[in-house]
Amino acid sequence: MVKRKRPNTPVGDGDSAPSSVNGSGIPSPVSVDASADEEKRPIFKDSNFQHTSKSSNKKRAWRSLKQIIAQERALPWKDDCVHYSCIDAPPSFKPPKKYSDISGLLAKYTDPQTKLYYAMAEEFSTIRCLPMDITAGYLALRRANNPMG
Amino acid sequence: MTTVELKDLKTVPDPIHQYPKTVRSSALPLVIDNGSYNCRVGWSINKEPLMIFKNIIAKPRKERGKKDGETQVGNDITNIEAVRFQLKTQFDRNVVTHFEAQEQVFDYVFSHLGIDTEGSVNHPMVVTEAFLNPNYSRHLMSELLFECYGVPSVCYGVDALFSFQHNHPNCKTALIVNCSYHTTHILPFIDGRVDPTRARRINIGGFHIINYLHRLLQLKYPAHYTAITPSRAEELVHDQTFVAEHYMEELSRWADTDYYEAHVVRVQLPYTIAPVAPGLSAEQQRERRRELARRLVEINARKREERLAEDEEQLNQLLAVQDLVEEGEEEEFQQALDSYGLSNLADLQKMISQLQTRIEKTRQKIVAANTTEEPIVEEPKTKSKILKPKDQEEFDTWIADIRHKRQEILDKRNARRQRRQDMARRRTAAAQERMRLISQLARKEKRDDTFGMRDEDWDVYKAINKEGGDSDSDEEQKLLDLEEVLRQHDPEFEDPSAGNAATTAETHQLHVGVEKLRAPEILFQPSMIGSGEAGLAETIEFMLRGFSPEDQAALVSNVFLTGGCSTLPGLEARLRRELQEMRPFKTTFEVTLASNPSLNAWHGARTFAASDMLQKYLMSREEYEENGGDYFKEHSASNLYYPSPVPLPQAEVPAPLGGEDIEIDPF
Repeated sequence: MVKRKRPNTPVGDGDSAPSSVNGSGIPSPVSVDASADEEKRPIFKDSNFQHTSKSSNKKRAWRSLKQIIAQERALPWKDDCVHYSCIDAPPSFKPPKKYSDISGLLAKYTDPQTKLYYAMAEEFSTIRCLPMDITAGYLALRRANNPMG
Repeated sequence: MTTVELKDLKTVPDPIHQYPKTVRSSALPLVIDNGSYNCRVGWSINKEPLMIFKNIIAKPRKERGKKDGETQVGNDITNIEAVRFQLKTQFDRNVVTHFEAQEQVFDYVFSHLGIDTEGSVNHPMVVTEAFLNPNYSRHLMSELLFECYGVPSVCYGVDALFSFQHNHPNCKTALIVNCSYHTTHILPFIDGRVDPTRARRINIGGFHIINYLHRLLQLKYPAHYTAITPSRAEELVHDQTFVAEHYMEELSRWADTDYYEAHVVRVQLPYTIAPVAPGLSAEQQRERRRELARRLVEINARKREERLAEDEEQLNQLLAVQDLVEEGEEEEFQQALDSYGLSNLADLQKMISQLQTRIEKTRQKIVAANTTEEPIVEEPKTKSKILKPKDQEEFDTWIADIRHKRQEILDKRNARRQRRQDMARRRTAAAQERMRLISQLARKEKRDDTFGMRDEDWDVYKAINKEGGDSDSDEEQKLLDLEEVLRQHDPEFEDPSAGNAATTAETHQLHVGVEKLRAPEILFQPSMIGSGEAGLAETIEFMLRGFSPEDQAALVSNVFLTGGCSTLPGLEARLRRELQEMRPFKTTFEVTLASNPSLNAWHGARTFAASDMLQKYLMSREEYEENGGDYFKEHSASNLYYPSPVPLPQAEVPAPLGGEDIEIDPF
């Protein structure tokens, strides 16, 4: 994302050479924005630093948690090791309760046309008047929508 | 019923703090509670964090031709909604994955602390991390801290455990429930250590509650789709929502209209009063019509003049041709006649006379138009067809009649709407009737056909029209007229459109009723947002089953509640109730809430950083380089160290600054 053009200071003396910014020791309120622009690079940073995982892959620099977990699971852990994905909550063993999508009240009925839950007759007429995008939104909210129809 | 105004609080940009000499020279530990919602930062000598800001970054999109906008971090962002689509966070769920963003956050932190030492941040760090933070993530965090900021030493800890230590410093056994922004952790703490094998994490937290409420309100009020912003939903979650102790009972109470009316919260959205009343006044309409008429007149006049000029031109030419005859130039005359498509002199003369009369007519018209410049005097449209009778008795019957008429039209309209709906679906009586009519029509065509002999025959097309018959704009107009009359004369008339829209303020109110308890309930019933995970209570029950009865009793005797979400009112009571349900009859348990659920993690880390223990648990840069990126030192509030069985792929790459940088270590 952020491209760094750094002065080619010899490797190793990043902390002895004056950093690429202004060498003065004034507590300059340099980075009201903390962006790592060349001129505004905060004084306390090592000017040669580069994320190791960054340089290897330019396009997709940062692994998502999903990828990290998958990688972690693939490792040959010892038996007593516990890692991130080991402690996921168990699936619910109770049947999910149905609540009216529009009012939140306990729903006894399902509209066969829109598949929305509803609690009473008045809600039914409301549901029938709802435009498609709203009904689809309610279904998506409880992940009951089926994009394939 | 209460009406609340939205606060829409703006953040105050963090000041740049002083970097006192004492702090600078003493290598004072810095405490960072790096949470996925808020980041809290302070020195180990501070009683409270110096900075608390949302762990988010807004990076303006690059636009061609424009200078790059400045990246904003945390409290720099005064209006989150303005940059909603440019927001980034270093977190994926509760784990830091995006270390460039983390670097920007650290830049923000250190520069706002006023740190100005060159090339390094010369302070040991106490940083919180997720429970069971993946080694990969910790490796990158250490790399960032050591190699980018030249930090001398780092200590990692788990926020929930720090908070617990802060509240129960000497407690050995407890059940820690940490409800935070993206996750909810349930950690069994036995004999001074967390048992990670039986700990559980539910991937639901405050973020999901806010998101749920946000979508619910948006779907309930599609008209205010854009006005209902995530930050407003967040404000409502903070101020209005609560966890119901008995969700089902509470719901049945809300089903009662009186209870609903008494307890619903009306949230006032900001609005501006529309500058002009929608629709034009009668005067404006007349003005507009007059303007149109004038324009038409002008256009006509212009056309007439053009035609006149054209005709005169042609007349002149024809006259010239006629002159040719008189001058006796036969040949040229014949040529000219051909060019006009005429055969002889008679035709020419006929055409000339025609032209002359036409010109005369046009002239007359122009004169007429000019003299009657203002001919169109507006007659007010005959609304007077519905006149108000003077007599009271007569008036009553009259108004009743009008009411009746209006009701008739409304009924008709409803019936039409109903029919349309029925017909749109199969297997309804209406749809079947329609199909019958259509097939009948199709059959009739074959034999001797009398269809259309009577006018009523054509009505059948109205009947089979899928739109449910005529839409009747006439009737709509009539309805509007009637309503207008009623509005003026009938004291009992309730205007269907304007009645509810009495004030703009009311149309900009969100009624937050059941939503107040519905949104936080997803902590206990993740199925409400389509998650298959067990809820908080169920997971606790599940987890307890893995322990011996003695351990179970010990754990529930000290249930400790922390994390931002546990500030939701009623959560403690709800947990008590759930425990009472799942625990055996007549057993005891205790639930305590952290003294400051969202800040105690920082407080605990601060206490730890200020104590003598810290030196023992700090991991220095040499240790980091020697043991690999995933290494850290275990302590009472930390994760357990499981060295990666295979060196992490990144660890193999030799750090570019290798051993030559060691001398910055101040110890």
